[in-house]
Amino acid sequence: MNLKQFYKLLLFIFLIPVLSSCFEVIEEISMKNDGTGDVTLTINLSQSKTKVASVMLLDSVQGYKVPSKQKIQQELNEAVSYLKKSEGISNVKSTSDFNNYIATISFSFKDVSNINNITKNILARQKIKATNTSSYTYNKATKTFSRKYQAIGTAKTEFNKLKAKDKAVFNGATYTSIYRFESVVTSSSNPASNVSKSKKAVMLKSSITDLINAKINVSNTIQLSK
Amino acid sequence: MKKILIALSLFLSFNLIKAQDLVKKIPSNAFTVATIKGDNVFKLMFVKDFNESFVGKKLLTETSKSLDKNFTSIEDFGINLEKNMYYFNQLSDSITYNCFLIPIKDANKFESLIENKEKKFTQQGDIRTMVLPDSTSIIKWNNNMLYFVTGSIKSSFFADSAKSARYGIKDIRFMRDDAMATDSVAVDSAYATTEAPMVEAVDAPPIVEKVKVQKKPAVKKNTKKPVSRKKSGKKKNTKKAKNTAKTNPDFDYSTTSVTDTTGDMTPPDSIIDEQYDTYQQERAEQDAKKKRLAFTWMTAQSDHIFNGTYQSIETNKSYTSSLDNKAIAELWVSSLQDVYNSIAPEFGTYGKAGLMKGYGSLNAKLFMDDKSFRISTGMELSQEQADSYKKILNRKLNKKFLKYVNSEKALGFMSYSIDTKAYLEEFPKLLKQTYGSFMGAKMDEEMNLGADLISLLLDEEAVSKVIKGDALFVINGLNTKEVTYTSYEYDDDYNQKEVTKTKNETLPDFLFMFSSEDTRLINKLIKYGVNKKLVSAEGNIYKIMEKKSPIDIYFQIKDGIVFFGNSLTEMQGIQNNQYSSNKLSKIHKQLLSQNNFSFLFNAQNLVGKVPASEIGGEETAKKFNSTLEKMGNVYMKSNPVKGRLVSADISAEIPNGHENALKYLFSLIENAAK
Repeated sequence: MNLKQFYKLLLFIFLIPVLSSCFEVIEEISMKNDGTGDVTLTINLSQSKTKVASVMLLDSVQGYKVPSKQKIQQELNEAVSYLKKSEGISNVKSTSDFNNYIATISFSFKDVSNINNITKNILARQKIKATNTSSYTYNKATKTFSRKYQAIGTAKTEFNKLKAKDKAVFNGATYTSIYRFESVVTSSSNPASNVSKSKKAVMLKSSITDLINAKINVSNTIQLSK
Repeated sequence: MKKILIALSLFLSFNLIKAQDLVKKIPSNAFTVATIKGDNVFKLMFVKDFNESFVGKKLLTETSKSLDKNFTSIEDFGINLEKNMYYFNQLSDSITYNCFLIPIKDANKFESLIENKEKKFTQQGDIRTMVLPDSTSIIKWNNNMLYFVTGSIKSSFFADSAKSARYGIKDIRFMRDDAMATDSVAVDSAYATTEAPMVEAVDAPPIVEKVKVQKKPAVKKNTKKPVSRKKSGKKKNTKKAKNTAKTNPDFDYSTTSVTDTTGDMTPPDSIIDEQYDTYQQERAEQDAKKKRLAFTWMTAQSDHIFNGTYQSIETNKSYTSSLDNKAIAELWVSSLQDVYNSIAPEFGTYGKAGLMKGYGSLNAKLFMDDKSFRISTGMELSQEQADSYKKILNRKLNKKFLKYVNSEKALGFMSYSIDTKAYLEEFPKLLKQTYGSFMGAKMDEEMNLGADLISLLLDEEAVSKVIKGDALFVINGLNTKEVTYTSYEYDDDYNQKEVTKTKNETLPDFLFMFSSEDTRLINKLIKYGVNKKLVSAEGNIYKIMEKKSPIDIYFQIKDGIVFFGNSLTEMQGIQNNQYSSNKLSKIHKQLLSQNNFSFLFNAQNLVGKVPASEIGGEETAKKFNSTLEKMGNVYMKSNPVKGRLVSADISAEIPNGHENALKYLFSLIENAAK
């Protein structure tokens, strides 16, 4: 028995509790008054790093293939090169930390509508069907920022088809969106959202399962002071 | 005198009752015998209880519905529930019989089961016979027993034309003359290209050859499968050809006749169709012949079972010694070697007899009582092999291991002990016996050479000192460990700030140990590891520097035992002679010290120990714990080699509050169905 096999054996014991993991997905958009801005997407699995590290040692878990570190890095790079080619997108950067299992992608846009479809296209390249349609608009004249979000009905049915064991993976996972502005926010239409003390940022936090099950809608219209 | 007579008659009547057991009807050459012991089953659960159980009710209502009757008890089926029911099979080179022997209590009741279905049966004396539709099975019964047989012809047998000719059966293949001359691939490719030039099809011999009946036994080997493949392939292509012809009204028949050297005007697609029809017809005829033959054989076999005199399986010592009168169900397979040989012809040239040599009969028994389920399995070996195993298994677990098991907390353990020296010496022999014939006689010398080479390269004695051959893996409960992780905090502007937080993680503490008399090599390895920075030392405790590992692994050598573990405190305790639980239960002690292999999973010790937050919420945790609560201890152990028999047991205890394992099983089924 070599060391790797020994680790694998151990894992079966260490993974006795069902594979649930806490992870965060954070989407930050900083809007400038002129309509340009920056985006940072973060996925943080560090709360579950013991489990993730364990899973990374396996070839597959619960019937799903576990990607290698190289594969993850490669896909991240592909996403970056795709972004670089996208219209209106510049300054694309990515980071990956395989000790804490945190990955980020950040870039600048000319107009916030440039980022519509980007996530969807990136996911499509990985042959993953997007779970929602989401679009952003910023009206410079009225200084209105809006996000239209629509959960795709099939996502919910697909999700409910998963075994309880697999669904548990998403328990405790959160999605956070933060929009920052140069002007003061006068209103934010989504009741689940919070406006910061400085009134220049809006945050919305929800659990990923609620998002998939369409229990929460992250659509929002934010009015900035003129 | 009177007393003696009474005793004698009692004895006789006892024997008479026993004689009625249907095992007498199983021929001695039966290959597999499976038994369900009605009396033992219904000792655990009265018929009345069964009828009222979820499973019983379901069975009764379903049968009532399908037969349009009203059954209130399984006794209504006319089966004698207090006696043994048997399944057996018989194998020959040409046919396999699958047979059931079921004791009958009330033949009328049984007949009423089937008569409503408008199935007719014939009666001869008190023996009634019914042939199932399409003649694939026969049911025969009298007032005491029911016999069901279904036979399946072996295709490999009839692939041999010499043998099949004896029964007037031909082996049919769909092939044309020219194709025969070349090979089957040529046929396929010719037809695969129908789309493009129709002319290609014209290459076919114009004269509709009667479907070829293969006569060369040499080609026979790959019969059935290739035939069916060809069949489907051909069908498709034929259709395709037809379609092309239809959709192509401009098809020039004159071209056909030009290229058609023999001048036959029959369009190629119809040639194929005709050929194919003839082929199918002939094939169906041969299949019908085979079926009739199978039926004739089955009839003879079932008559023999009912009326013939023959030696029963009871004369087979291997069978009788496998029995246990406490078992609920039993399974016996005559020999692993025979199993292999019986399927070997299907493997073609690789199916050389002799593989699995030395492996004899297999048996499995199921027991249920007021405490547990138990499955006991055994395998007979050749004397030579049994002796090898005896030598290998001639070791007990190091007694020092026992103090590291805490029965009150242990979630589970696994131990094994073999004699490394004997293992290294015997292994090449065993390998040769099992696979030697596979390599063929030519390889005999090489096999011997290989075995000697291993002996030469390995100093068995020296190796066995480094790794004696016993090991124990134990999980003495769960421990909470603080781990750090990265999260974010947000200021008044919702600007992100990375912060390090801590949380508790519950992880099992494991301990793995093996005995070593000679630790010099291991010490050298440690030294090497330390030098290469693969290992860090903290006193006599070493830590493996493996970045990828999600947990820390420590090891040490102490009192001739090499320890591995993930808890530094435990490791330190061992080092300072402070680790001794003295909490080993008697059962666990027996399990560990008396068997060469043992395994325990104690679900009860895990109930409620894992925080809900780590399983994925309250709901999941609840389910998780309730599943565990329903599980008793699960044990596995190997038994010592007895004679030529190696055996092992698996048992699962049932939780408190259940009368016996069978009733518990029924309640589990009921719960699962809800």
